[in-house]
Amino acid sequence: MNAVDLEFRNVTRRYGTVVAVDDLSLLVPAGKICVLVGPSGCGKTTSLKMVNRLIEPSEGQILIGGRDVMAQDPIELRRGIGYVIQQVGLLPHLSVGRNVAVVPGLLGWEGKRIDARVDELLGLVGLKPGSYRNRYPAELSGGERQRVGVARALAADPPLMLMDEPFGAVDPIVRERLQNELLRLQERLAKTILFVTHDIDEAVKMGDLVAVLQVGGVLAQFASPAEILAHPASDFVARFVGADRGLKRLSLSRVADLELLPAMTARDGDPAAPLKQRLSATAFPYLLLVDEDGRPVGWLDQDDLPGDGAVAASAAVSMSPLLSRRTTLKDALSQLLDADVMAGIVVDEQERVLGLVTVEQMAGALRDQRPAAAFSDVKEVTVDDA
Amino acid sequence: MREGEPLIQWEWIARNGDQIIGRLVQHIGLTVIAVGFGLAISLVLALLIYRRRALYGPLSGIAATLYTIPSIALFAILTPITGFGSIVTAEIALISYTLLILLRNIVAGLDGVPPDVREAASAMGYSAWQRLWRVEMPLALPLIIAGVRVATVTTVGLVTVAAVIGQGGLGQLILSGLRSFFTTPTYVGAFLSLALALALDVSLLSLQRMLTPWARVANVAAGPR
Repeated sequence: MNAVDLEFRNVTRRYGTVVAVDDLSLLVPAGKICVLVGPSGCGKTTSLKMVNRLIEPSEGQILIGGRDVMAQDPIELRRGIGYVIQQVGLLPHLSVGRNVAVVPGLLGWEGKRIDARVDELLGLVGLKPGSYRNRYPAELSGGERQRVGVARALAADPPLMLMDEPFGAVDPIVRERLQNELLRLQERLAKTILFVTHDIDEAVKMGDLVAVLQVGGVLAQFASPAEILAHPASDFVARFVGADRGLKRLSLSRVADLELLPAMTARDGDPAAPLKQRLSATAFPYLLLVDEDGRPVGWLDQDDLPGDGAVAASAAVSMSPLLSRRTTLKDALSQLLDADVMAGIVVDEQERVLGLVTVEQMAGALRDQRPAAAFSDVKEVTVDDA
Repeated sequence: MREGEPLIQWEWIARNGDQIIGRLVQHIGLTVIAVGFGLAISLVLALLIYRRRALYGPLSGIAATLYTIPSIALFAILTPITGFGSIVTAEIALISYTLLILLRNIVAGLDGVPPDVREAASAMGYSAWQRLWRVEMPLALPLIIAGVRVATVTTVGLVTVAAVIGQGGLGQLILSGLRSFFTTPTYVGAFLSLALALALDVSLLSLQRMLTPWARVANVAAGPR
């Protein structure tokens, strides 16, 4: 189904005298990811839940594709909106397949069509239908549950998805992978997504647009991630974004944006002498051993290469992190620093070597970024953060 | 018991096979009716509580009060109203005793549904009624059946007491043995009553296993969810 615009028009939500969301207005264009980010108590989850009427606004309107949600039947409305939450909320008594089938079932789809859709979606989120369809949620890891959660939200092909800290409960490595997968999916699906997180790094990475909220449900800034990092609209935003804004901007670039360095590769048994000679002429004197399929096995130092005879895979040492072209420079840099190496190996989907990126290149990317001028055009400041 | 007589006269059992089986069937009948009606009433009450939480205190209070009345006294109190030896007298008492356990377990089962599951169900577009029957009740099932098991075993024991008003199933055997100082029927009645309780308990356990395949993996992998 085609994506739709999502618009908040002067939306306020009060609990007694406490204001949870204060006169929120924002427009998410169709097919874009908008991240609501802010500290706890900023009303981001409340805002999200007003879209599918789990919470109803006290004032203002929320329009999906131009239609006011309050004018629609809540049950029908919810069946047309994908929903993913942190605890995933999989129904523990239903198998993975039947969890994914919930909304199509409620919509009255035919059995065969549902079965086909379930398998299609499990495949889409990287779970083999044959081995996952009949398992129960309790048998899955946290990351697998999140995938099922995403598959379930996509089941009836809703134009709009709500995601409330969807990757909050998984460890950082799995989170990064799930984030990348969601971005890859989004390239194909182009849903309108409202995404809630308290993690500014996640917001910068995931959002086409980022709405920074502050306590009391006040919108502090609504702009592209680059704009927010370069020109925080208020002290609050600047503090929330953090002192390492420059570093965070690395999240805006991906490995694919860098020019990959060629890697000198060799296979087990290749003659050593010519390789050694060629290697001495390069700036990066390491030889990358790959297996038959071109997948990296390990490094060989120039000095460890025999002067004659053949390259031996057994002499290879320490692997560098494998990066995909989609990895953000921030994640890539962090992985290189963790592994204490100067170069990462960029691989394709089949883990075949594409080239190398080095810490130096990333430092270069940082330098190239437009410096955030201290007195640059201060955009319209929506909030007085005094 | 008379001197020199064996505890169990097998020949009496052989002669009275029909009577014994008749009593057993009656015992099963009394138990099933009591637990069945008790479950139906408790479900209705639990749904009222589900809708209006304030009812939980008073309703469970009433059930608890009924539960504390000694069974012999309750039979005696009911007899002038519903008649001596009538099945209604027996069942009113037996049903009353199941309510507390069943009501508490159904409510606890519904309360135990994780809030995120409840919210996700609503967010996907289950109506309140669909959510109750397709999500919350199934998830409450292990606790509900646990309640039914306790209620059933208790009722099998209590039915024997109903023998004092002539509705005791196997209790009649026990009582007649006591009255005539002839131990065989007492032993037969007690043994069959015990065996019946165990058999029903095991059947209910298997029923639960069959109905809640997900609960087994959940217990292993993620604790009680």
